[in-house]
Amino acid sequence: MTREMHISEPDLRVLAEDLVRGGTRLIGPARPPGKDGAVVYREVKGLDEIVLVGDPPARSLKEFFLPPTEVLFTYRQKQGDVELAPAPHVFPPQVVLGARPCDAAAVSVVDKVMDWDYHDELWFGRRQATTIVSVACSGGDASCFCTAVGLAPDVAKGSDVLLVPVEGGFHAEILTEKGEVFVAAHATRFAAGGRSEAAMAYRAAARGKAEANLRADPAKIRAFLESSFEHPIWEGIALRCHGCGACAFVCPTCHCFDIVDEAESVATGARRRNWDTCQAAKFTLHGSGHNPRKGQDCRIRQRLMHKFAIYPGRFQEILCTGCGRCVRICPGGMDLLEMLDRIGREPAAPGEAGRGAP
Amino acid sequence: MQELRELAKKLLLEGTVKVVIGYAEGRRGVLPIFAVTPGEAGRLIFDPRCVQNLATYLSPRREQVVALGRPAVVVKGCDARAVAGMIRESQRSRDDLVLIGVRCGGVLADPVSAVEVSEATVAARCPGCDARVPKHVDHLVGPLPPAPPGTSALDARIAELEALSPGERFAFWRSELEKCVRCNACREICPMCFCVRCVADKAQPQWIESSPHARGNFAWHMTRALHQAGRCAACGECERACPAGIPLNLLNRKIARVVAERFGYSASGDPESPAPIGTYRPEDGEEFIL
Repeated sequence: MTREMHISEPDLRVLAEDLVRGGTRLIGPARPPGKDGAVVYREVKGLDEIVLVGDPPARSLKEFFLPPTEVLFTYRQKQGDVELAPAPHVFPPQVVLGARPCDAAAVSVVDKVMDWDYHDELWFGRRQATTIVSVACSGGDASCFCTAVGLAPDVAKGSDVLLVPVEGGFHAEILTEKGEVFVAAHATRFAAGGRSEAAMAYRAAARGKAEANLRADPAKIRAFLESSFEHPIWEGIALRCHGCGACAFVCPTCHCFDIVDEAESVATGARRRNWDTCQAAKFTLHGSGHNPRKGQDCRIRQRLMHKFAIYPGRFQEILCTGCGRCVRICPGGMDLLEMLDRIGREPAAPGEAGRGAP
Repeated sequence: MQELRELAKKLLLEGTVKVVIGYAEGRRGVLPIFAVTPGEAGRLIFDPRCVQNLATYLSPRREQVVALGRPAVVVKGCDARAVAGMIRESQRSRDDLVLIGVRCGGVLADPVSAVEVSEATVAARCPGCDARVPKHVDHLVGPLPPAPPGTSALDARIAELEALSPGERFAFWRSELEKCVRCNACREICPMCFCVRCVADKAQPQWIESSPHARGNFAWHMTRALHQAGRCAACGECERACPAGIPLNLLNRKIARVVAERFGYSASGDPESPAPIGTYRPEDGEEFIL
């Protein structure tokens, strides 16, 4: 049940100060301290550092739930025996203030796979410790296409509280139980609020802006993917791709990881999990030397298949939020909007119907 | 522009090449294209937004590009250095390639936002460039634009770093390298990183840990930088590809300078000049050997 309230900008500033003073880790989109670098989500000390409205930060929120590297356990060899010690994982409370709605939605999309064939304790430990307060986006840049994957610049999915910029402050929608707890803890900062015409106008304008970049039918894209495993389209699409995987590393929904054992000394070491990417040839390289995804065409196809056919088939969710990071980062000029637009206009190959379906 | 397009069409029509690898207008800035028909060759462009080093696509690792057949490739001066490096190191035969050199006045640091080269918009590596007219190419097209304005911000930054104490310098690189997520974009885009199996991918023994922690990141970046000594074409692609924003051009340029001072050698567009990494001369300094 959504509840509507209002918070003024000065009150939001004090709220942020209260959080930091109370020992909560405050995360928001901000420039690196003292530098001109790109806006990224990072720990901040107050509202003034946070860029509440703007293009998506250079990297997504994923690193706060699935860090680029983390120790799963450590080991010690002792006279022919091995002792294992679980890593001391603690999940201190954290609040993301100013999440872009697409990034909040991404976390909720990835929840599905993290609670599928096993329950990922590290992911959900951090999820439970985190309250996500999003700010409705103003519509993004030319690489944004959230509306084409069923989301929107003001989508509520994944957020506990959604703030919509209005004159002097924010219209606040309290979306979850966690959001209610958060608002109750800062009750003096929020004021009663009802339906806001200004907020609705802001949201409509933002949606229109994102819609103009790409109109696509996810069902049609999925139908093409499931019937076009051997389609000649892949080779042409993949030529300029370097297979560098930067797309996967900045992607809010790519969640594949590698598990490695690393020795710290002769007798001790750690098992870690690290981000990985299906765009690297090594991702599927067998010990025999055989690689079932030999060329970059197979790997690009896999990227699109997983996001727009396999994951939707299994979890009823598209594994893409239209944040556009892969487009902005790609040094080879791979453009997911172009690919989806093209695929959406290709007829599904009748001879292969059903191939690749889960 | 017309000169480039006409040349590409001619090369394709007469069958000299099967594909022209060049630049074209995309939805969001300039893209690499693989023109196999005269019609596609009509899309070719060159301007200061053409930052990509297309020599990377000549790597034998790019099997699907190789399969297209004999290529012509559009190269700036820095890109031509990379092609020369690949020939020097036996990755491609000069006879298998047609090089279309483009005269260059510098490219843009941010080719999506900016259009014109100015002191504020030019890529940091471009001011002071000595390869604005690519050498050892088969065709040379376009007028020579004015030299990129100003001086290189890289040189200024290197001077600042050199003035630091070793401890301060280490702290600087530690803070930069801790951003690395080990995606390997710097390696995959590099025309000189053509190894079929990179040392960083070896697991038995594992020389370089794959985890993005301080140890793994230092091991990777020191290895990458040293393997580039005297080989790096200074095209800046590794830094452009880096999703973490690590200033790799600083390392590349500093090491190139050390190689120039120690061995009197700079990577050039001449594929015949022997590079220090594969050459021994009796007069090579060896005072660092204990």
